[in-house]
Amino acid sequence: MTIKISNHKMTVGLPLMHVEAGEKRCFLPKLIGCLEKYGAQVVLEHGYGQELGISASEYQQAAPAVIFTDNTQVYQQDIVFLLRCPDEDRIRSMRHGACLVSMLHYGTRPKRIRLLRELGLQAISLDSITDDSGRRMVENFNAVAWNGMEAAFNLLQDIYPPPGFSNPSRPPIQVTLVGAGTLGAFTVRAAVRYGNLELQQKLSQKNIPGVIVSAVDVDITNQPRVMRELLEKTDILVDASSRPDTTKAIIPNQWLAFLPKHAIVLDLCVDPYQHMGDQFHTKGIEGIPQGNLDQYVFAPDDPVFKTIPENVPSAEKRHTVSCYSWPGIHPFECMQIYSSQLHPLMRTLVTQGGPQGVRPDGNFFERALSRALLTNYH
Amino acid sequence: MEQRISVGFPIMREEPAEKRAFLPAFTRKLTEIGFEVFLEESYGNSLEITFDEYKHKNPFIHSASREETFNKDYVLILRSPSKSEYPLLGKNSCLISMLHYHTRPARIALIKELGMKTISLDSIVDDFNLRLVENMKAVAWNGLETAFSHFSKNNPALLKTDNAPWRVLVIGSGVVGKHAVDAATKFGRRERNAMHMEQGGAGVIVQLIGRNITIHPDQIRALLKNTDVLVDATQRYDPSQPIIRNEWLAHLPHHAVIVDLSVDPYTLDTHPPVVKGVEGIPQGNLDKYVFELDDPQWHETIPSEIPTQNKRLTVSCYSWPGIHPEACMRHYGQQIRRLMRVLHTKNYDTLSPDGLYFERALYRARVDTFIDRQGKN
Repeated sequence: MTIKISNHKMTVGLPLMHVEAGEKRCFLPKLIGCLEKYGAQVVLEHGYGQELGISASEYQQAAPAVIFTDNTQVYQQDIVFLLRCPDEDRIRSMRHGACLVSMLHYGTRPKRIRLLRELGLQAISLDSITDDSGRRMVENFNAVAWNGMEAAFNLLQDIYPPPGFSNPSRPPIQVTLVGAGTLGAFTVRAAVRYGNLELQQKLSQKNIPGVIVSAVDVDITNQPRVMRELLEKTDILVDASSRPDTTKAIIPNQWLAFLPKHAIVLDLCVDPYQHMGDQFHTKGIEGIPQGNLDQYVFAPDDPVFKTIPENVPSAEKRHTVSCYSWPGIHPFECMQIYSSQLHPLMRTLVTQGGPQGVRPDGNFFERALSRALLTNYH
Repeated sequence: MEQRISVGFPIMREEPAEKRAFLPAFTRKLTEIGFEVFLEESYGNSLEITFDEYKHKNPFIHSASREETFNKDYVLILRSPSKSEYPLLGKNSCLISMLHYHTRPARIALIKELGMKTISLDSIVDDFNLRLVENMKAVAWNGLETAFSHFSKNNPALLKTDNAPWRVLVIGSGVVGKHAVDAATKFGRRERNAMHMEQGGAGVIVQLIGRNITIHPDQIRALLKNTDVLVDATQRYDPSQPIIRNEWLAHLPHHAVIVDLSVDPYTLDTHPPVVKGVEGIPQGNLDKYVFELDDPQWHETIPSEIPTQNKRLTVSCYSWPGIHPEACMRHYGQQIRRLMRVLHTKNYDTLSPDGLYFERALYRARVDTFIDRQGKN
């Protein structure tokens, strides 16, 4: 089936992500309505929004001209817009000259960049949209930090040794945070509040000691003596680092032996284990599994540990919490944030007639979009 | 020729070390947007910027008297002018400044009485209530840089004799606290951190605590014993009570430094009264922000009712970003430029809460919006 659209209208296709079952995120009707209002013909995949409990009629109410069609057709539009980058086959199915707008992570995905260029596609990477001072404009670090800490504390409540997590005589919870940059900054705030304001209030009312966060920069981890001292009293070890060299782990696997048995490793960076050329890139904390929205809590005896690449030392194990898409744990709230952040940017993209109309010296939002164009990535 | 919308730039008349002025790149940008710029005579001289550097043959940049600058369509000045100068504001002018509506009730009353139009820079917030004009990062980094500068006087690489890591305790996990953690892990300056690590230093461990620890005095005292640098980055629910009582400061090592990033003043005559988060430390400004233990000015800003017997070297500055004035103004210029674009097509009276992104943000910062909201609460 081919859908007919008047020649001069820019079309924006929003496919479903088709990844793990737990991935429910879709852009909300308000943003879809804005795309139409600013002159685009919006094309949604059948079932779009259903996992979030949003019906087709809600989208139609916001954007009366919206068209629902199949996944193949959605990928044939001028702009293909989705949060997580689609797989290679779907990228290959896009029209020559079309534009992919997604979290493309140029810096760590050289193969993807090559593919997009080979296919003659244009692209805007959502994670590269920055303002004049370099601040990311489409991000949800807050949700990464809070959702991750919430998951870690939920688990800690279950496995904390006597006298128990909710016992007023227990000592303060010790969180050791590696990385004090942007993500680390959100993490300290979430950590001192147990990642959950209700839990914080409940424990505070019972006068139960709170949380002490010890933050260290990546380079202090070259100090085994200092790190050992910290790890030995850590309840939750968090990786929120931004490593200059992802071929080297920050916490070698053998150091996990210093952690108390009940300690939890929380992976907020979710760097993957991957080969790139002749180099192998590893996680910041060595020997932990990579989670996703279907499973993000791993006990030390979880079979998933066996799927860690053989060349990665993984003998030392602790409970681990890791999720490739932390913000997706609370999908609706996440998409409210992203939709608001994207509203002025997508308006600009549509009103400028697509990526070719975005001027590097244009207005604030044009400049921001321009920085994220694949053509401007070197 | 069509008359341009004018912007007046009076000089900030605060302490002598307050050098900040908007930079020539910013005023030039305003003329490109379509504004006409009027700078008070000798504007920018504190930063060694001459009028010629501002003017640069630009027909839309002029020198003016202080009174004239107050009569322009917009009057842009980072720190609020003194109240005695408020009547200088033109009848149709709009004052754009850091007016801190929430904590300055007397100022609001006067603005109301004089019927002034104002936009408070610190109230310009986006749809997520995030400030669009702020320099919290500079607050944290400049404060921590100052603290570690004290230690590095005789020890540039900041190496400890036992090669133990430095211990920084940050109280408060708001925006400033978050930046303080980042800054503290790098000794307030990246180059300094690089030198320290190159020479085999053990780095910094930054501990951050919130209210659920600070209400337990025994835990606080235990933490203080191992603290080299204590940072107050709190935003207290009840500013009439300190977080760290003066008697607890006795638990800090004698060499410890206190960094006051909250810079709440002592105002005991208001209801409720306001005291500093760390009890008994002085309030600094750009003229003086380092207080040694035997400093004769220690007590000048501290009311006599406040206990001060326990002292540690303290760094405190009402305007931390102003320590590096040019960098600060480059930052603010960038943030304000995009807002001025809106104020070229809209004005105080025509700003709408339903406008585009920056218009909505500006609307929230109008004094009338603030008063309306107060009335509703």
